[in-house]
Amino acid sequence: MALELVVITKIVPDGSEVFIDPVNLTLNRSLATNVINPADENALELALQVKARYGGRITVLSMTPPFAIPYLEECVGRGADRAILLSDKAVAGSDTYPTSLAIAAAIKHIGKVDIVFAGEKTSDSSTGHVGPGVAEFLDAELASYVSSVEYDDGYVIATREFEEGTEVVRIPTPAVVTVLTNSNNPRKASLRRKIDAIRQGVIVWDLKEVGLPPDAVGLRNSPTIVKRMIPFPRRDRKGEKITTDNIAKLVDVFEQNKLIKGGE
Amino acid sequence: MSEFDVIVVGAGPAGSSAAIKLASEKMNVLLVDRADPPGSKNISGGVLWGNDLEKIVPNWNKMAPVERYITSKGVGFLTKDSSIDVNIKSRKFLQGVTGYSVLRVKFDQFLAKRAESAGAMLVSGVTVENLAFKDGKVIGVVQEGDTITADTVILAEGANPRVAIDSGARRPIADQDVAIGIKEVVKLPEATINERFGLTSKEGFAGEYALGFLEDGVEAGGFLYTNRESISLGVVINMGHLRADDKTYSFDIMDQFTDHPSIASLIENGKLSEYSAHLVVEGGYNSFPKQYGNGYMIVGDAAGLSFSNGLMIQGMNYAIASGILAAETAIEAKKSSDFSEKSLSRYKEKLMESFVAKDAYNFKGIEEVTWGKLAHKIMPSLMEDVLVNMFLTDGTPKKHLTELIRKAMKENNVKSSDLLMEGYKMIRRM
Ligand SMILES: Cc1cc2nc3c(=O)[nH]c(=O)nc-3n(C[C@H](O)[C@H](O)[C@H](O)COP(=O)(O)OP(=O)(O)OC[C@H]3O[C@@H](n4cnc5c(N)ncnc54)[C@H](O)[C@@H]3O)c2cc1C
Ligand SMILES: Cc1cc2nc3c(=O)[nH]c(=O)nc-3n(C[C@H](O)[C@H](O)[C@H](O)COP(=O)(O)OP(=O)(O)OC[C@H]3O[C@@H](n4cnc5c(N)ncnc54)[C@H](O)[C@@H]3O)c2cc1C
Repeated sequence: MALELVVITKIVPDGSEVFIDPVNLTLNRSLATNVINPADENALELALQVKARYGGRITVLSMTPPFAIPYLEECVGRGADRAILLSDKAVAGSDTYPTSLAIAAAIKHIGKVDIVFAGEKTSDSSTGHVGPGVAEFLDAELASYVSSVEYDDGYVIATREFEEGTEVVRIPTPAVVTVLTNSNNPRKASLRRKIDAIRQGVIVWDLKEVGLPPDAVGLRNSPTIVKRMIPFPRRDRKGEKITTDNIAKLVDVFEQNKLIKGGE
Repeated sequence: MSEFDVIVVGAGPAGSSAAIKLASEKMNVLLVDRADPPGSKNISGGVLWGNDLEKIVPNWNKMAPVERYITSKGVGFLTKDSSIDVNIKSRKFLQGVTGYSVLRVKFDQFLAKRAESAGAMLVSGVTVENLAFKDGKVIGVVQEGDTITADTVILAEGANPRVAIDSGARRPIADQDVAIGIKEVVKLPEATINERFGLTSKEGFAGEYALGFLEDGVEAGGFLYTNRESISLGVVINMGHLRADDKTYSFDIMDQFTDHPSIASLIENGKLSEYSAHLVVEGGYNSFPKQYGNGYMIVGDAAGLSFSNGLMIQGMNYAIASGILAAETAIEAKKSSDFSEKSLSRYKEKLMESFVAKDAYNFKGIEEVTWGKLAHKIMPSLMEDVLVNMFLTDGTPKKHLTELIRKAMKENNVKSSDLLMEGYKMIRRM
């Protein structure tokens, strides 16, 4: 029996190029190039490994404006079978609650799904809500912070990693797993697959298609209110080289910067 | 039947220009770049001289992300303590076309996107591995074991053309073909740049520097130009020298340049935002490789069509022009369904008729001069001695100019015959 696999992904600004606008206290992403959210690259790679081992079909799903299309083509170029873009003006301003709701609606619209792969969190707002939120709305089991997955006759055996150690859980499908950043080595797209992906194109759905009324999502249905943002002052590094033969100096520098407490 | 009419390898200025031309003539073209987005690994700044883009992107200078229009040009001769600068600012620069400073990451993306909107298929983030051959003819490219076929392949890989060389499509790079370019981008407020260079916000400065003062007689030239809110500057170092002496480090040379008092004052309080090193093609006419064969053409830096000589680097304009000529050739080849070496030799003829080869021919051997002692060492030291002594007041009576020159020549160990010889070479080459 072929597995129905879904990878959800968000296209995020390249982290190194985002800064907080000191005037509006919003994120200024205008100078940033975009990337596939890093953890989602690991989620896709894990899904590709599961597909290679057990067979199945991978759908990549993203709720974003159409600028994301080349990134979804990249996912298909890496080996996913197809990509769906859920794009609708009504979702603008959605926080994680309606986002999870809409994504779950799109997954239901795909049909019977066995495993949903999400990244553990995004690199731009990092709430980590959406994976668990989707599980909730799908009424599916959840395994978070996962590094590897096996499938066994209607069950997902997922290895979860923590600072203290690892935990292996066995949960029934449909299941959502949120995948750890850097937990594997994402493959690259090949030229052949990428050409095919571009020719194949991306499927575009709107809210109506997935059966969600516009007033279920958007800013008005988002319980989160951003009261303020506090930019950290940028600190320029001084970059002084102190070698081990000058321990006294090193200690001085540490003390001056209150990194250690001075003795007598 | 091939899958594409043309596959273009590399979306730098050469490859994207070829693809724009091809796609706008309804050719079925694939443009591949290893970087994603295309251009994001290309060295991040440059002055685009000339106006070739106009042929394929009308009004490009109003649409493309350009930084400043060059209205002020400088040549500087730096000695250890002094700099002797010639600055040209001319209203005439506003009538013709000089050049625009551009930041490559943005500019290359603009061009690649233009190719895409003209109808080319753009694939980024994929490295082409090899050419595919059948019966001695190039029939496409190879990537991860797959062959993607095309009637013609245009190689636009830049200064280190691995595919062209590894597949035997061009001869390997020799030391004298290339130099090492180091470039920094230093951020400064727009107003500070305007003030330091005497510019308005849209006007730009581009300068080249002879660096005769470098330690151990290293041969290198410097460049500096203004972007809107940053300054790009760097050095081009003769490869032969770096090879011969393993105590010479390219970053040391860069430091000597940026620490020179007359350069340091221009970038003072700026914030270093990018640092990169890249091969610069400097071969010139005498070292053009063969640029076409059965089923393929080579354009831009990959074809040795750049021009750099220790005093200036030009390459983007030649890249664009050669890309367009190769595209024209591919279109003609398709009309006659003949993609043989003979058919594609039209590209070489077109190059020879164009300013690309003519420039290279006219300045044939100029590297002898621009890398030579006269430009970098003798003249600057002489000028320094003469001019500084002319203006220094040390209580002794002023000396006559010829006397100053004679004294300076003696102190700098310059023989009149050398000066004549070098001067003759310079005039002949220029
Ligand atoms: C600076 C900033 C702060 C924010 N703070 C909050 C906040 O405090 N509370 C809040 O509710 N919202 C917040 N938001 C809005 C939030 O970014 C969006 O709701 C977003 O769609 C989901 O949150 P996330 O990026 O944290 O995703 P996460 O929950 O961290 O992502 C987990 C997984 O879900 C996937 N995913 C997330 N969004 C999508 C999507 N649209 N389509 C497909 N897959 C997706 C991710 O790619 C990842 O695989 C904030 C946004 C910004 C820019
Ligand atoms: C420090 C420095 C300063 C310079 N300053 C100037 C200047 O001021 N003015 C000027 O006109 N010129 C300047 N040049 C020269 C100029 O950069 C080049 O001449 C010009 O970029 C050549 O264009 P191109 O398209 O041939 O190659 P490139 O711009 O190098 O583009 C090659 C492209 O091919 C891609 N590629 C390579 N191999 C593969 C592969 N196997 N598969 C897929 N893609 C591949 C690369 O990612 C790249 O995008 C400078 C160069 C340097 C190093």
